[in-house]
Amino acid sequence: MSNKTITRDQLATLLDRLVEKNRVIAPVSDNRGVVRFGEIQKAGDIAWGFDQAKVPAKSHFLPQTEELYRYDTSGGELKIEPVPPPRPAVIFGLHPCDLKAVAALDPVFDGAFKDVYYLNKRERTVIIGLSCRKVLPTCFCRSYGIEPTDGQGADLMLTEAGDGYYVEILTPKGEALIRDNAPLFSDAGVAEGRRAKDALAGELAGQFQLNVDLTGVKAKVDTMFEHPYWQELARKCLGCGICTYLCPTCHCFDIIESHSGHRGCRLRCWDSCMFADFTLHTSSHNPRSTKKERVRNRFLHKLSYHDERYGLAGCVGCGRCIAECPVNIDITQIIADIEEVD
Amino acid sequence: MGIAENCLMPLPATIQQIIPETSDVNTYRVTLDDPEAMANWRNRPGQLAMMSLFGAGEAMFSISSSPTQRDYLDFTIRKAGVVTKALHSLEVGGKIGIRGPYGNGFPYELMKGRDVLFVGGGIGLAPLKSLVELMLDDQHRADFGKIEILYGARSNDDLCFKQAVLEEWPKRPNCEVWTTIDRAEDTWKGHVGFVPAYLEEVAPKGEGKIAVLCGPPIMIRFVLIGLEKLGFKNELIYSTLELRMKCGVGKCGRCNIGHKYVCLEGPVFNLIQIKELPPEF
Repeated sequence: MSNKTITRDQLATLLDRLVEKNRVIAPVSDNRGVVRFGEIQKAGDIAWGFDQAKVPAKSHFLPQTEELYRYDTSGGELKIEPVPPPRPAVIFGLHPCDLKAVAALDPVFDGAFKDVYYLNKRERTVIIGLSCRKVLPTCFCRSYGIEPTDGQGADLMLTEAGDGYYVEILTPKGEALIRDNAPLFSDAGVAEGRRAKDALAGELAGQFQLNVDLTGVKAKVDTMFEHPYWQELARKCLGCGICTYLCPTCHCFDIIESHSGHRGCRLRCWDSCMFADFTLHTSSHNPRSTKKERVRNRFLHKLSYHDERYGLAGCVGCGRCIAECPVNIDITQIIADIEEVD
Repeated sequence: MGIAENCLMPLPATIQQIIPETSDVNTYRVTLDDPEAMANWRNRPGQLAMMSLFGAGEAMFSISSSPTQRDYLDFTIRKAGVVTKALHSLEVGGKIGIRGPYGNGFPYELMKGRDVLFVGGGIGLAPLKSLVELMLDDQHRADFGKIEILYGARSNDDLCFKQAVLEEWPKRPNCEVWTTIDRAEDTWKGHVGFVPAYLEEVAPKGEGKIAVLCGPPIMIRFVLIGLEKLGFKNELIYSTLELRMKCGVGKCGRCNIGHKYVCLEGPVFNLIQIKELPPEF
């Protein structure tokens, strides 16, 4: 199927229609003005004009809190009930960095032990990507080989063009969505759309204020486990964990208990390697007992461990950790420092 | 979706027997409620399972029974934290959840044809016991050479599996057992002293021999030094490493040592592998 165009109004109609049979997830502004991916009831709920959702799209595939199963222990018996499978979903508005981040999470939840919660949502979700409109001062995706108009990882990729959007159809899932809603899409203006996208890509490429050279960084950081640099960096870090919560590739979780009487459920919740009790043993031994070990673990995970395990970068250059760190710890500065230190 | 396809969902299980080991350690003999799940359960010696206490949480334990024993699973557990306190409050017939098995376990196939020395400290004998009993089992005994076991604990009360360690194992052919406690007690007629020091005293020959150890980190550190001095080869020394775990399946991100997950690539590592790990365990 060849690429299409869609007008703004028709896109709104499409999203309104998708809400009837799917959970539709899109960037929404919460009551404090924080843009995050949330379920919408109508296209008008979307925070149109958003630059970057502060909370990344991982919150759909790996929710901050997610019920795993329910149990009932009444009468000395034990019943464990699975939760219902997820409804089909459409997630709209992922920028290229967030698309790449989902790809980085996939092998974590797949593999010999399959995480059905994540994988079922992945399987039942159509991803509609959206090219960036501008480059933020904290963006450095291009250093990771991502262009702000890359559709890789999306089922459909939308780019603003004229009064509407240029629509690239990238997977059979994307094709099926178009087929089911064919009258809303048009073949008119496709060539102009393509040209508009190329022009936007060229324009955005010139807007990056942050650029890092990642050549040799993994090899270098792999030799730096005992380097005093981590101690220095840890002195600045507050250990608040905001970087891990907002990181689109961070996936650490805890499994906790919620119960009342004999009935309860197990929940999985985002957790953070920046917290001291994350690795605390019952014996009180703690392999990462100080901030130095925890800060080192985070940056080694981003710059080496993820790549080592899955062959994919553990950072996508979204810049959220730079934008939100209360003490201005900047991963691009750390990458530059790693290249510098002896 | 069935329970079996969901790696985070426990299987219902029942405590069949509680065997007191020390004043704060019990062995819980457990069966899975679904007879088919019990019949299909296979684990290697040294593998782990996640135990669920409903109302308290989950925690990871090694399976202390031999894999040749197919009717039940034993878990030898000290009362220490929230989950283990909840477990210790249960009686026979109590309901728990089990998921697993997890981890690599001991590579006993590579140990065939060799003499094997076990060094255990305190409750650290639990994972070793699964391998000792597999090797001592009639069906496997001829595959292995001499079996030596050096086991110590803080006190006489802290020695686990006393029946096996003091009575049964020493009577088995080609099997020698040394036991020690840290400080002298009136009730104890045996050796007194720390495990690493006793190892130096007993001085088993290391040449061509496998060593398998488990115990508190401080014991492991000094025993490793002792074993190298005795001529044990690094690739023939196996130790288990213990880290906090939540998922057991390489996703929750907390049991990593460098880029390795102990729940997947461990808990058993040989000394060459341990030396390659960053010192963060």
